[in-house]
Amino acid sequence: MITTVTLNPAIDREYFVDQNKPKEHKYIYDHNDIRVYPGGKGLISAIDLRNLGYPDIQNIGFVGGKQGIFFEKMVQDYKITTNYIYTENEIRNNAFIIGMDPVTYTHYNDYTYKVSKDDVEQLIKRFKRGIVDSDFIMISGSIPAGVDFDIYQRMVNICNELGKDVYLQASGEALNRALQAKPKVAESYFKHTKKVLNLELVELEDYLRAGQKLLEEGAQYAILRYHCERLLFTKEKTYCLSPVDFCLKNWLGAGDAYNAGFFDYVFRKGFDFIEANRYGAAAALNVAEHKTIFIENREDIEKNLSRIVIRELEV
Amino acid sequence: MNIVKDYMYRTLVSVCQKDSIEEVIRIMYQAEMSVVPVVNEENRFLGTIYSENILKNIIPEKYGFLDSNRLLFEINQAAETLAEIKNRQVKEYMSTRVSPIREMDKMYKIADIMLDNKESFLFVVNEKGNLRGYITRADLLYYLLDVCNDIG
Repeated sequence: MITTVTLNPAIDREYFVDQNKPKEHKYIYDHNDIRVYPGGKGLISAIDLRNLGYPDIQNIGFVGGKQGIFFEKMVQDYKITTNYIYTENEIRNNAFIIGMDPVTYTHYNDYTYKVSKDDVEQLIKRFKRGIVDSDFIMISGSIPAGVDFDIYQRMVNICNELGKDVYLQASGEALNRALQAKPKVAESYFKHTKKVLNLELVELEDYLRAGQKLLEEGAQYAILRYHCERLLFTKEKTYCLSPVDFCLKNWLGAGDAYNAGFFDYVFRKGFDFIEANRYGAAAALNVAEHKTIFIENREDIEKNLSRIVIRELEV
Repeated sequence: MNIVKDYMYRTLVSVCQKDSIEEVIRIMYQAEMSVVPVVNEENRFLGTIYSENILKNIIPEKYGFLDSNRLLFEINQAAETLAEIKNRQVKEYMSTRVSPIREMDKMYKIADIMLDNKESFLFVVNEKGNLRGYITRADLLYYLLDVCNDIG
């Protein structure tokens, strides 16, 4: 089994309209113009891995209120094993309004979700027994209000006690603390602040310094996004991963595809940090260059492999 | 598609023997489940805890009898009894009589089990006995609908 962790999931709703104008009433009659799907880092990767043929993929996290039940039923449609702590507060709802002419993209991101301390302790108990027969654990995404910053540190410690490898994708203080538990792979994302471990990221040198710091703080391997490229850090060397002739159409789901591709490679061929990243990047490319959120099969990934260039950097 | 794994609800919502009755009640309410599987620390299926069992323990004599004149008295008595037992552990109230079914079992097998045991809910485990989810009578009927559509 592969386990992905999503502590702050959301119901994502996309509305496609001809023009998105304020103070105007819109009527949508075509069901193709409304898409409702379960969202959250980790979950999309779980669906990708299911599409790649893994029979047992588990998603652990919180879901809230009656909408949480609806969310879980959507996840079940993808044949993902759900292991959710149900909370009193309702789950997040994100709205995306996409205007067609002119093309506009309006995003209302819901950050109102809050969980209680009891919910967190329930989660930890469930996590401990939920990962017993998991081979890999992917912990990724933001944490809801009410969760302390040491949550990922606690979860990585549990994985270490049970001898499970952890791939951690986090940011801010939750990442800083989790590094102390020495996750196998740490990737920092920085959507809101251009900072990693309190280091400001502007020039390439800043990114290289931050990557090294991720290793110094505890990660065995580290990954940092650098515009459309990724910087890969091992204890010995630093690499830059670049896609060739890259044409961006869609970011949504690309990072999740990267993680799923990475896991897929490791699961089938063993841990090779560089090659697993190449495979992950080829998976991400497939999503980023098409209007799709999910990867569907390995053929779509493998045709992109030759377009991923990884070169060693002199540091 | 004729194995349990294709039709079951894949969820690991569960409680442990040491969890309290209050925790179970909250999970039952939030998950909309009247029966919850009990597992050990390794997620191994040990049994089930039914809402009915808890109710029987807090309304022992009048269970199932809705006499409107006595309802308030019954409710107050039940709430008082619940206050006494809510911190007790699941292991005191769980049932170990129900056998789970395997995720790779054929769907036709579960019809017999459900009808014999009068169970509307069966928990599903993998080959190691670890909890994998549950299957309901509605899933069985849905499977039969698939079969009858295939025949048609």
